[in-house]
Amino acid sequence: MGRVDTIIGELGRIAEDPVGYVAGWKERHGRKAIGVLPMNFPVELVHAAGALPVVVQESRVPITLGRSLIFEYYCGYTRSLVDQAVTSQLDMLDGMFIVDHCVALLGAMDAIRYALPDMPVYLAQFTASMDEPWSPPQVRDEIALLQARLAALCGVTITDQALRRSIALFNHDRALLRRVYELRRTGRIALRAAEMQVLVQSAMVMDIEDHAAAMTELVEVIDIERRPAADGVRLHFSGHFCHAPQPELLDLIESCGATVVDDDLYTGYRYISTDVPDLADPLDGLTTWYFDRNNNVPCSTRAQKTVDWESYLVAAVAADRSEGVVTLMPKFCEPHMLYFPELRKALLDRGIPHLLLETEHEGLALETVRVRVEAFVETIKRRAAVAPELA
Amino acid sequence: MTSHVMGIDFGSTTAKAVIIDLDGEIVAARVSHMGAVSDQAVKEAVADVLAAAGLSQSDMKRTVSTGYGRRMLDIADKNFTEITCHARGAIAMVPEARLVIDIGGQDSKAIAVDASGLVVQFAMNDRCAAGTGKFLEVLARAMEISLDAMGDTAMQATRELKISSMCATFAETEVISLRAEGNSKPDVLGAVHAAIANRTLGLVSRVGKVGPVVMTGGVARNRAAVHHIERALGLPIILPADPQVAGALGAALIGLDDYRAEQARQVAAPEDEDFARQMVLGGACAPACKGDPVMARMVAGSSMTAGRRALLAE
Amino acid sequence: MPLMSGITDPKPFVPIANAAPNRLLSTRAGGALVKDYWDRLFSARERGATVVWYNGAALNPIFQAAGIEWCHGEAFGARLAAMHLEGPAQRTGEEYGYSNELCSYARTTLGCAVLTKRAAETSGSSLMPDQDVLASRLPPPDLFVNAYAGCSTGQQWDEISYRLFNKQLPFFKVSYPLLWGNNPDDGYLQGAEWEKASHYVAAQIYKLIEFLEAHTKRKFDWEALREAMHYIKRASELRLEAMALCRAMPAPATFWDWIASIAPINFLPGNQALVDYFAGVKAEIEQRVVAGVAALPNERYRLAFDGIMNWNKVGWLANKFAETGSAVMVGRYTHNSFWNEPQLIDADDPILGMAQHYLLCPFNHSARVLGQLLLRECETYGVEGVVFHATRTCRSASNGQMVMAQMAQRAGLQTMFFEGDVADESFYKDAVLESRLEAMLETIDVRRKLG
Repeated sequence: MGRVDTIIGELGRIAEDPVGYVAGWKERHGRKAIGVLPMNFPVELVHAAGALPVVVQESRVPITLGRSLIFEYYCGYTRSLVDQAVTSQLDMLDGMFIVDHCVALLGAMDAIRYALPDMPVYLAQFTASMDEPWSPPQVRDEIALLQARLAALCGVTITDQALRRSIALFNHDRALLRRVYELRRTGRIALRAAEMQVLVQSAMVMDIEDHAAAMTELVEVIDIERRPAADGVRLHFSGHFCHAPQPELLDLIESCGATVVDDDLYTGYRYISTDVPDLADPLDGLTTWYFDRNNNVPCSTRAQKTVDWESYLVAAVAADRSEGVVTLMPKFCEPHMLYFPELRKALLDRGIPHLLLETEHEGLALETVRVRVEAFVETIKRRAAVAPELA
Repeated sequence: MTSHVMGIDFGSTTAKAVIIDLDGEIVAARVSHMGAVSDQAVKEAVADVLAAAGLSQSDMKRTVSTGYGRRMLDIADKNFTEITCHARGAIAMVPEARLVIDIGGQDSKAIAVDASGLVVQFAMNDRCAAGTGKFLEVLARAMEISLDAMGDTAMQATRELKISSMCATFAETEVISLRAEGNSKPDVLGAVHAAIANRTLGLVSRVGKVGPVVMTGGVARNRAAVHHIERALGLPIILPADPQVAGALGAALIGLDDYRAEQARQVAAPEDEDFARQMVLGGACAPACKGDPVMARMVAGSSMTAGRRALLAE
Repeated sequence: MPLMSGITDPKPFVPIANAAPNRLLSTRAGGALVKDYWDRLFSARERGATVVWYNGAALNPIFQAAGIEWCHGEAFGARLAAMHLEGPAQRTGEEYGYSNELCSYARTTLGCAVLTKRAAETSGSSLMPDQDVLASRLPPPDLFVNAYAGCSTGQQWDEISYRLFNKQLPFFKVSYPLLWGNNPDDGYLQGAEWEKASHYVAAQIYKLIEFLEAHTKRKFDWEALREAMHYIKRASELRLEAMALCRAMPAPATFWDWIASIAPINFLPGNQALVDYFAGVKAEIEQRVVAGVAALPNERYRLAFDGIMNWNKVGWLANKFAETGSAVMVGRYTHNSFWNEPQLIDADDPILGMAQHYLLCPFNHSARVLGQLLLRECETYGVEGVVFHATRTCRSASNGQMVMAQMAQRAGLQTMFFEGDVADESFYKDAVLESRLEAMLETIDVRRKLG
C-alpha cells in the first residue's frame, strides 16, 4: 500500500467519523469546537478564535427522533441535522453558527435551538442577493458581528494578525486540494470520486494544519503512485449542495465504466474554488471571498443576475473534456430543483449528454441507480462510435 | 448451420426471448410469465423460442440479454440496459418514432431517440408505483376486477372523475371512497387510467414531448391506458404489433450489430473500405438498415462523419 | 376504554349533515373587486400601461404611486388554484422541467410566465396559447421586483423569471433578514435586531423608488403614496376591528371569511373602495353579533388553523370543518399578516412602517415568536385545538410548526397535523384530515368532560 492509500485511509476515517475526531481533538488541545453550517461560512474566523471549525456533516445514522421536529419533506441534510441534535450527536460542539438563508437550513436550525436550549446558536445572515452596492457592506457588517460573537464565546480577542494567519493557512490548504483537482482533470492521476471527496470532506472537519500537512505529502507522491488515469467514460459530477453524496453511490457510478474527472459539488470543487484575498483588512478579505466565490462557481442559492451556473457548467465541461454530466440532486433541495431546468436546457442545447440522479438520506436502491448509469454510459459510447465529432 | 441472433429480456415479472436472422428479421418471439425474476421463466422462454424457430442455442451467433436479470444469464455474450434495448427495439418496429414510452410492471420509462435511433435522453420512474403497472394492479385488486378486463371497462366511462393522489396506497383509498359514493366501476377506472396518463406526461416532460410516439411494455396492451396517455400528451401513440418484446428485439439487434462489426473487421481490406465502413455504420445507425450499397457510397463519398451528419440532419 | 371510565354520557361523534358554513355576504363585493382587477390587468399591454411583476411583499402602494400596474405572481397562482384552473400552468411548469416537489407557487407562477411569454412571442399566430386558458393571460412584464421575506425560494424564483425573459428587463431586489432573534431582548416588534432590520429594509425601499423613477421616467408621486397608505391603514384597522368582533359567541364569521378577504388587503389599490369593502365586512359582522347570527349552524368547537392556505381546497375545508361544528377562528396567515399592525404606519411618512410590515410576513419569524403569537391568538378567541397544515412543497410555511405544536401542547391545547399543499392538490390525503380531525375533537370532548 502506497503513501497515497495510507493518507486517504487516514483522512477517510476522519471524514467518516467527524464526531469522534472532534472529541479527540478537543481532548488533545483543550479548546472549543464550533459547528458551522454549509455553504458560505468563513471558517477562518473560527480558526482565528483558536477554535476548531467543523462544517457539520450529514450523519449516516437513520433518522428517528428527529422526526418530532422536522417534516419528511425536507432534504436529507436538514433532517439529519435535527436528528443529530436530538440524539446527542452534536454534543461535542460548543456552538453552532450559520450565515446562510436557505429556508430549510434556517428551519432546521430553529428546531435545533429549541431542542438544545443550552447550545449557543448564532445566525449572521449574509444577504443572498449579490448584485446590489449595499450588499457587500451588509455582509461585512455581519462578518464583524460574527467575529465579536465568536470572540466572546471563545473568550479571546480575534486580532487582524491572527485572522490573516488563519486565512493564509486555509488558502494554502485549498491550493493543495486544487492541485489534486488539476491532476485529475488533466488525466495525470487515477483518483476515485469517493477518494477525492475524502480529501475535501476531511478538510471540512479537521485541524487545518494537520490536513495541510497530509495534503502536502500526498501531492508530492500522487503523481507517481497514481499513474495513469483510469480510462472510463469521462464524467463531470454536478450539484449536491451542503452535504456529501454517499461514497457507495460514487463508487457505483464509476464501476459502470465511468471515470469522474471533475465536479462542482459542495464537498468538492465548490468548497475549494476560491481563496480569501490578502487585504489590509482581513474582514474585507472575507467579504470579498463571499462575492468572489459566486463569481467563480455560481450557486443557485445566491441571487445574482450577472453569472449563471449553466454557463459555468458548460465551460467546465469543455475545459475538463468530460463526455457527460451527472447531476446529483438531493431530494427536496429547493435551490437545485428550481435551477435544474436551466442546467438541463443548456446541456441539451449543446448536445452534452446528461443524467439526473436523485439522492436521499435513507440510501438508494443501488440497482436502480446502476441501470440508469449503465444506460447513460451506453448512450455516450454509442454516440461516440457513431459520431466522434459530437462526443 | 443457420446463423441467428438471440435477445433475451429477463424482466421483473416476465421473460421474453426473440430470435432474429442476420437480416434483422424476427424468426420467433416468446413471452413467459412466471413471477419475479425467475430463472425458470427465462429457461422456458429460451426453450420455447428455440423450439418455435426450429433452432438450437448453437445456431446463435450472439446472445444479448437485458432487463433486471441481465447479468445472471450464462448464455449471454453481452448485456445492455433495457433503456438502450427498448429504444433500439421500438425504433426497429416503428422507425419514424422519436419517443418511446415503456410502462412495465415495476417501472416506467420515457426515452427520447434521435433520427438514427440512438438514445438522446431517458427518464425513469422506478422508485414508487405511481404510473407503473403496479399502480394498476393495486387498484384492480381494490376494484375487484382482473387486469385484463380493466382497460375495456375503463373505456366505458361516461363521467370524468378525478383521482388526485399519485401514491398507489392513497389512490386505493380514493378509489374506495369514489365507489362508496356510488360512482360506477367504469367511471372510477377511467379516472385511474387518467391518473396513470398524468404521471406518464410528467415522465415524458423530462425528456421532451416530441412525436411520433411509440409505446411498449405490458401496459401498452391496455387500450384505456393508451387512450388516456394519448389525450394527456396530445399526440397519437403508435402501437407495435407486439409491444412486449421490444426489449428482447432490441437486445437481439444490438447483438447483430456486434456480430456484423466483427465480420466487417474480419473482411476489411482496402478494396472493401466501402463495405467495412457501411457495416460499422449499419451496425450503429438506422437499425432497420440492412446495408444499402447506394447509401454506403454516399457516406463514403466524403468523410464518414460528414455523412453521419447528413443522416442525422434528415 | 379506560380513559373514558369516569365519564357519563359521552356524546358520540357524529358529523352534522348539510352543515355548510354561513359565509359572509359582504366578501362577495371583494371577490368582484378582485375579478375586475385581474380582468383589467390582462389588457395592460393593449392600454400601453407599464407592468411590474412581483412576488411576496405587498409593494403595491409603491407601484400605485409610481403610476404603474402591478401583477402579484403568486396571488395569481393562488387564484388559479382556488378556481381549479391551475392545471395548464402546472403542466407547463412540469414540461419546463420542474419537479413536483418544488414549491408549487413557484411552479405555478413560472408556468404562467412561460405561457405569457409564449403568448407574447406567438401573438396573432396559430401557435398562441388558447386565450380561454386563464393561466396564459397575464400581461408580459416590463420590469421585475423581488421582495420576498421568509423564504429563499421566493427570492430565487425571480432569478428564473428574469432569465425566462432573457435578462432583458430591469430587475430590482429587496432583501429581508429573517427575524431570528439572536439576543434575549429580541422579540416581536422589539429589540435591536428589529430596529436594525426595519431601517435596513426601509433604506432599500427608498432605493426601489429611485429605481422606479429611473425606469418609468416619472417622478415618484409621494402624495399618492401617502394617500394610498392612508386608505390601506384605515382598511387594515377596519379589518382588525372586524376580526376582534369574532370573539363573540357564537362566532359571526370564521377564518374562511378572512381567507376570502386576503386578496383585497394583499394587492388591491389603496383607495376608498378598499376602505368601503372592509367597512362593509365589519358592518355585516356587527349586525350578526347583534342578531346572534352564527357562522356555523352548530358551533361546538373553536379551532386555530396554522400554515399557508390550501388554495385548491378552500371550499372543501370550510365545509369539512362546518360538518364537525368546528369554528376555525384564527390563523397566522389571516390574522398575523397583511398590514396587521397598522399603528406602525405613519401615513405622512409611511416607508418605515411599510418596511416593518414586510418584515412581519408570517413566515419571517422564529418558531418561538410564532408559538407565542399562536398562544396569544388562541387565548383571545377561546381556541381549544390547533390544526396544522403541513404544506408539502412549502418549507417556509412548514418551518417551526412542530415547535409551535409542542408549545401549544404544553399550554394545554390539542393539536393535529395534516399534509396538503398550497397550490398542488395531488398532495392531499383527505382521509387523513378527516380521521385526525375527528380524533382531535373527540379528545377535546373528553378533556371538557374531565373539566
